[in-house]
Amino acid sequence: MPDIEKTKMEQIAQIWNARRSGLITEMALKIEEVSKEGVLVRMPFNPDFCVDRNQTLLHGSILTALLDSVFGLANLIAIEGISAMATLDLRVDYLRAAQSRADVIVRAHCFRATRHICFNSGSIWFDQHEDEEIARGTASFALTRGEIGLYDALLKEEGRT
Amino acid sequence: MNLQAVNANVSGVPFFRFLSFEIREIGELHAQAEMTFAMRHIGNPVMEYYHGGIIASLMEATCAIAVRPDFSEFPAKPINLTVDYLRPAVKGPLFAHALVTRKGKRIASVSANAWQTDREKPVAEGLYHFLLV
Repeated sequence: MPDIEKTKMEQIAQIWNARRSGLITEMALKIEEVSKEGVLVRMPFNPDFCVDRNQTLLHGSILTALLDSVFGLANLIAIEGISAMATLDLRVDYLRAAQSRADVIVRAHCFRATRHICFNSGSIWFDQHEDEEIARGTASFALTRGEIGLYDALLKEEGRT
Repeated sequence: MNLQAVNANVSGVPFFRFLSFEIREIGELHAQAEMTFAMRHIGNPVMEYYHGGIIASLMEATCAIAVRPDFSEFPAKPINLTVDYLRPAVKGPLFAHALVTRKGKRIASVSANAWQTDREKPVAEGLYHFLLV
């Protein structure tokens, strides 16, 4: 991978990790791997995301929110010159009860991008249990391409340019 | 089941407290909820739009309650979902309505929509399946 691309990805990851408010901050997501082929993100266990009183069973829809978030990141990295994107639709299958206090790992990628639309898929499992997928999802996004990409806008906001 | 009992049940669920919503209407096969806006619900910090996952979560929670308002340990088990996002949801209250379209012995199908100021202008629609056994 050329150095410039590597730097860009690291910067995107850094900015994304450093968001100050909102659900992505609440989820305390950490980017573990990033490339044009996809991203791998870790979400630490959070008892607030559980449905049971013992707080060991994650609510399914936090996994939906996780997929939606990580699809956005995968698109930011894989597609040049996006100035805005909006989730068009999202489909999620809950494959197993999400019962564990382990960190949650999600892998997501953009498998096709056109000028206006892109398509994503992703998969979720508990750390160390990649063979026991707990959820799988697909989504499509509407893209707005502009003079200033979202990446450049983010850099500007961070005062890096 | 009366509203007060349903909301007492809702407040026992950690993730429902995180979402911070109340059930406003409950019937044999439907439910309606109102969510209070919080910064932790934001997906786009620049525009202060709700995170799509939060909208899907509110609709899922409302569907689960419509299917089984008197859950004991945890809400009805979701199998899968499909959500269409129609408009951005801005800072402010968010409403969701769930209608059970079919409730069999093992599986329930539920449709939901979410809106803000105008019910005729939904921000999202969803279809959810639940396992009842």
